Amino acid sequence: MTTYILRRLLLMIPVALLVTVGIFVIIRIAPGDPVLTYAGEDKDPATIATVRAELGLDQPLPIQYAAWLSRAVQGDLGRSFQTHQRVLEAISERLPVTLELGLAAILISVSVALVVGTLSAIKRNSALDLLTTSVTLAGVSFPNFYLGLLLILLFAYVVPGHLLPPGGWTPFSTDPADNLRRLILPAITVATASLAVNLRQVRSSLLDVFGQDYVRTARAKGLRERAVVVRHALKNALIPVVTIIGIQVGAIIEGAIITETIFFIPGIGRLAVQAIPSQDYPIVQGVVLISALSFMLSTLAVDILYAFLDPRISFSAAEA
Amino acid sequence: MLVGVVLLAILLFVALFAPLIAPYDPIKVNILDQLQAPSLDHLLGTDDLGRDVFSRVLWGSRVSLSVGVISVSIGFLVGVSVGLLAGYLGGTFDLLAMRVIDALLAFPALVLAIAITASLGPQIQNAMIAIGIVAIPGYARLTRGQVLSVRSRDFIVAARTVGVPPLRIVLRHIFPNIANPLVVQATLATAFAILAEAALSFLGLGPQPPFPSWGQDISYSQRYLANMKWWMSAGPGIAIFIAVFTFNFLGDALRDALDPRLRRSG
Repeated sequence: MTTYILRRLLLMIPVALLVTVGIFVIIRIAPGDPVLTYAGEDKDPATIATVRAELGLDQPLPIQYAAWLSRAVQGDLGRSFQTHQRVLEAISERLPVTLELGLAAILISVSVALVVGTLSAIKRNSALDLLTTSVTLAGVSFPNFYLGLLLILLFAYVVPGHLLPPGGWTPFSTDPADNLRRLILPAITVATASLAVNLRQVRSSLLDVFGQDYVRTARAKGLRERAVVVRHALKNALIPVVTIIGIQVGAIIEGAIITETIFFIPGIGRLAVQAIPSQDYPIVQGVVLISALSFMLSTLAVDILYAFLDPRISFSAAEA
Repeated sequence: MLVGVVLLAILLFVALFAPLIAPYDPIKVNILDQLQAPSLDHLLGTDDLGRDVFSRVLWGSRVSLSVGVISVSIGFLVGVSVGLLAGYLGGTFDLLAMRVIDALLAFPALVLAIAITASLGPQIQNAMIAIGIVAIPGYARLTRGQVLSVRSRDFIVAARTVGVPPLRIVLRHIFPNIANPLVVQATLATAFAILAEAALSFLGLGPQPPFPSWGQDISYSQRYLANMKWWMSAGPGIAIFIAVFTFNFLGDALRDALDPRLRRSG
């Protein structure tokens, strides 16, 4: 197992390097001069040249990349061109917000998917099953940014009493009640697409398991249906579901990007969306690196977990 | 399958004949008619510049479908080519190619699309390129996996033995036998591409005003949400849903029809 994990961690390094090279090149293709953002456009040319040299932006691209990389491995991701704040600090401030939103969405998604997916599989081809299948397809097809606006319209303006705020954020430590009120709509928005995927997977996995001999044996022995489902079927059906959820955890940052923009939530996604058009190179590179690393680590964790949950899987097979 | 095909036919008809079907010019400003609720004159109402929302939705279908089709084509061509070569040749090329594909996969897809579009410029053709690039890893991995399962089969070994050139083996013998899942993937990827284009337009990185785009119109309608002008976003929102639903539905139906292992219900 240790060899497998070490090998996977080693393989992450060239992938992470490729990701950083990719975003390094892409954001520098954009027209415009980020030095003007940093220095302020009313500075004279001599000052701008000085600032450009200070930031290392007068160097050839390979030199710039090498300099950034050598600082990054020491934990220094540079400073934002717009706010001059340390990138690691900016990300650390916003990461808990995105994590809270993402984890709340996963909690909603998993809870509903488990209950509804199980019922749908048990009552296959019933009205509930048909409704579930339709809702699943509709869920993955509905644009989440439009869903967010609909939820805002409904709960902030239509429903009397303005039940929920249309956006904004209060940290949990400041006011837990207000934090949770502001979390509901964005969490539902983020949860919808993953709910559809998880629901479909729970249903599909359970139906596969229901066809297995050991389930047939359990029923033939006279076990109650509830015991068959909970004690025998669900445990094995959840293995592929766990792997999907693991990947969704790793993709939290990506899933939150548009939702944070709609609801004015100060998370990492919104930070990236604001930084890209203003060519705030250090912020964009930092966010992409953190996001890529979290995705790769989560897929590694999922592979290890999968091998633990399913004794038929060996690490060499999991590697394949 | 029939339902999916019918929906697709309607979408294509609307996109192709939008200039003939649309009752009004989608970009013509008419302040006197601004912010009108849906009526017989304006089926989906008007926006703050008096433009007919229904006409903008019809014209917007051209943007979404063209981005969907072209970006999927870009992803398909590049991704399938890389997957075919990596799967057939193996060795160092496979190792290097898959590391690049892994890197593309590790990128948060929306951030990558935003970064590419912002760098190249917020235009429809750049959105096509960005979404196409994001789609490459999916095709490459799927193709490579399919090639690996096919290349050791007897008919491929026989072709190699009698001296058929590698390129011919890949194109004439391997590709036709792995095309089915790729077709399914392409259909589902079109749904993703339409959603992605709408998301990019929502963020201001798609076609620029005054040209109609579903995502951009939804973004624009945000400022009128508090004033309950719900129709400004309803038209484009439902249009996106119908278009994406059509391709997802079609993709699922194709998957069931083309893969006998998945024909068991559920």
